[in-house]
Amino acid sequence: MSADPTITIKEAPEPRGPYVHARQHGGLVYVTAQIGRDPKSGDFVKGGFEAEFNQAIDNVEAILKAAGSSLERVVKAQIEFVEEKDLDAMNRIYGERFHDPLPARTSFGAAFLWKGAKVQIDCIATLD
Amino acid sequence: MTTAHRGVVSRRGPKPTGSYPHAHAHGSMVWVTAQAGRDPSSGELVEGGMAGQMDRAISNLEAILEECGSSLDRVIRTQIMYTDAADVEAMDQVYARRFSAPLPVRTSWGVKFLAAEPGTELVRVQIDCVAQVG
Repeated sequence: MSADPTITIKEAPEPRGPYVHARQHGGLVYVTAQIGRDPKSGDFVKGGFEAEFNQAIDNVEAILKAAGSSLERVVKAQIEFVEEKDLDAMNRIYGERFHDPLPARTSFGAAFLWKGAKVQIDCIATLD
Repeated sequence: MTTAHRGVVSRRGPKPTGSYPHAHAHGSMVWVTAQAGRDPSSGELVEGGMAGQMDRAISNLEAILEECGSSLDRVIRTQIMYTDAADVEAMDQVYARRFSAPLPVRTSWGVKFLAAEPGTELVRVQIDCVAQVG
């Protein structure tokens, strides 16, 4: 490895554990799962599932931008959420935020997420 | 299927208990099967709860990565599944001790259960990864 392949930015919530925001390899950028924490305060945004999911996507978007990519270049997204009742809201917000060409997607219910987060999303995106 | 695809089973990892190798290598990347805290010799879960299991699981990853010509500092992304929210600090402490810069990206979440056989103690955590080779 030559240059540092990792990216951690101020425009996304500071990592609360031993991980970076993004790491590049082979023309792809991999993004750590983001939750609905405000990048400035580090706290969860208020407003329930919808606010948290929008903020999580905002965080992913900021990280992708810093890495030289964008939401349009996401090839795969992965979403974990805790409450089955939030499925419709998840799909609606996701549809508002992601556009053609849409990424492949895996989503599923988790037993729990970090510190009571309702949802998280990670992704892999191209850099070209 | 090209010859560039390679399934890897290492003597230094716990024997796979199903239809999977320890890792699959292709091009400049290797994908490693999720590892639990099993002792490679006995196949049994190690003692020590989350901390013991996490440390052993990462040792298993490390051994498999080395077999593939990679290493922990070339891990790009990890996924961690764990069964008890109260284990998160212990999980992070071990992870932080075992991984050093450049750190991988990470996705972790809580699951209802993890495969328990062949040990008797419950599997509390498993971790997989994708890493760079060379």
